[in-house]
Amino acid sequence: MKIAITGGKGGTGKSTIATALAVELTKKNKVLLVDVDVDCPNDHIILNIDRKKVKDVMQLIPKWDLDKCVQCGTCSQVCKTNSIAQIRDKYPIFIPEQCSGCKACILSCPTKAISETKKEIGKIYFGSKHGIDLVSGELKLNEPISEFVVDAVKEYVNNLEKKYDYILYDTSVGTHCDVISALNECELAIAVTEPTPLGVHDLELILKLLKILNVPGKIVLNRCNIGNEKLIQNLAEKHKVEIIAEILYKKEFLERYTKALPIEDESIRKIAERIK
Amino acid sequence: MKTIVVLSGKGGVGKSSIIASLALILKENSKIVVADCDVDGPNLALVLGIKKFNETKGIEAIEKAVLVEKKCNSCKKCLDNCVFSAISWNNEKNKPLFDNMRCEGCGTCEIVCPENAIFLKKVENAKVRIAEKPFPIFSGQLKVGESGSGKVVFNIKQMAGKKAKEIGADYLLVDSAAGVGCPVIASVSGMDFAVIITEPSPSAFNDFKRATTIVKHFNIPFGVIVNKWDLNKDFTKKMEKYFQENDIQVLEKIPYDKKFVDALVNLIPIVEYDKKYRKVFEEIIIQINKEVKNESDKISQK
Repeated sequence: MKIAITGGKGGTGKSTIATALAVELTKKNKVLLVDVDVDCPNDHIILNIDRKKVKDVMQLIPKWDLDKCVQCGTCSQVCKTNSIAQIRDKYPIFIPEQCSGCKACILSCPTKAISETKKEIGKIYFGSKHGIDLVSGELKLNEPISEFVVDAVKEYVNNLEKKYDYILYDTSVGTHCDVISALNECELAIAVTEPTPLGVHDLELILKLLKILNVPGKIVLNRCNIGNEKLIQNLAEKHKVEIIAEILYKKEFLERYTKALPIEDESIRKIAERIK
Repeated sequence: MKTIVVLSGKGGVGKSSIIASLALILKENSKIVVADCDVDGPNLALVLGIKKFNETKGIEAIEKAVLVEKKCNSCKKCLDNCVFSAISWNNEKNKPLFDNMRCEGCGTCEIVCPENAIFLKKVENAKVRIAEKPFPIFSGQLKVGESGSGKVVFNIKQMAGKKAKEIGADYLLVDSAAGVGCPVIASVSGMDFAVIITEPSPSAFNDFKRATTIVKHFNIPFGVIVNKWDLNKDFTKKMEKYFQENDIQVLEKIPYDKKFVDALVNLIPIVEYDKKYRKVFEEIIIQINKEVKNESDKISQK
């Protein structure tokens, strides 16, 4: 079973709960934790897992054969990501960081002066500890397209999938393409939130997204005693999504977090029970 | 005008809370414009307690491929050349099927189509809400399920920048999304100074380092604010050693205080909720101004 841990807002406890849930589920099952917060992956830090690189994530980019280039400017005109600049009577200047690898320049070059090459945009790591296997994707810094790294991680995980009872996808914050890519892979999404107006605001965005993607969702209310629980309860009712666990705010959790230790709590056992 | 971006790498470290109070204090003695570029989850207006927006505008920052079915000869060239897996094949109709959520609007399908059966159409993928009080604020919101957040950020920064010029603002403040991907790169690009917020946890510190790489890539001077610094004093010490070794200016250390949560729950910025925090934020502004001035002196010396 593939489950996403998501939530919209940052810092609500996604990774804390994903790692704790992995620890809990491992007691009776074979669990793979997949860190697809590729912008800032942290699950290996919380679980203190030494990761080994298993794959480079590559992306197609263009390469120019200047002998064939007639400086016509077509490539820079068709490029929608502004990765190709051209001054009249000069060869095109390519900015690889901005390139999304769409091939529009390659396919539209009238003299076939552009061919395919590759750039590295990220890495996939694997590590193991306490019976938990971890796959962790990491975007190369200054590369913009997190979604491609998430796609590559999904492909990598699909080859291992049969070995596991549970695959937990820990997503990044927000609702954009890299989160969508991860959610699309899952049968269930756990939205971790907190009872603050910001938590409510971002949770509603995630619930709307889940509806569009047709992925069933459940809510975990973290730090349920710090604000106004009613806010989340009303939203859950409005969207007909169940709150499956409430986790108290305890200074002990915070301290464990700042020391990179997974938390253990009755509420985590409850989540494990409710997702079966 | 000074342009300042606030980012953090890790989410939930207090970015919006801090920028809201920073803006309120700045506003007392100078003209400011603020842009909330966390377009996935724009929260700044909420934290500031803004309930009424003067204006809402749609943003068409992306294009999507559209098929003219009559012209399509079912050659599948579009399917074969889409690197974003945005095209699948509808066997029943023997025509391509476009997945709008995955379409990046790159135009490759339009280029390869021999029958001119595909064209690109501008799509509204975001909205920007504009309020005038307590200062001009532009709050971007990506439509749920839409792509192109980087381009939306670029648009919002442009609008806010224009407004700042019009009113002769002293500061333009940009609130960036978490992470280090496309919307963050778009937020950071072209700014004069960056404030990176972190907290004493291995995760936040790791993400802080990732965020600095983005800022350094654009050659932007930056300083760090350590929020909730006393939650793990040993770790803060370790971080401070790193800051010192790497010549990173600590703008402020803010202690953990439940009042921040209470202020947030009540939608009142902390400097208004508890006036004793005014001093903390005044100090941050003094530090930022000092850093920005140092940098411009360095440049003029060169």
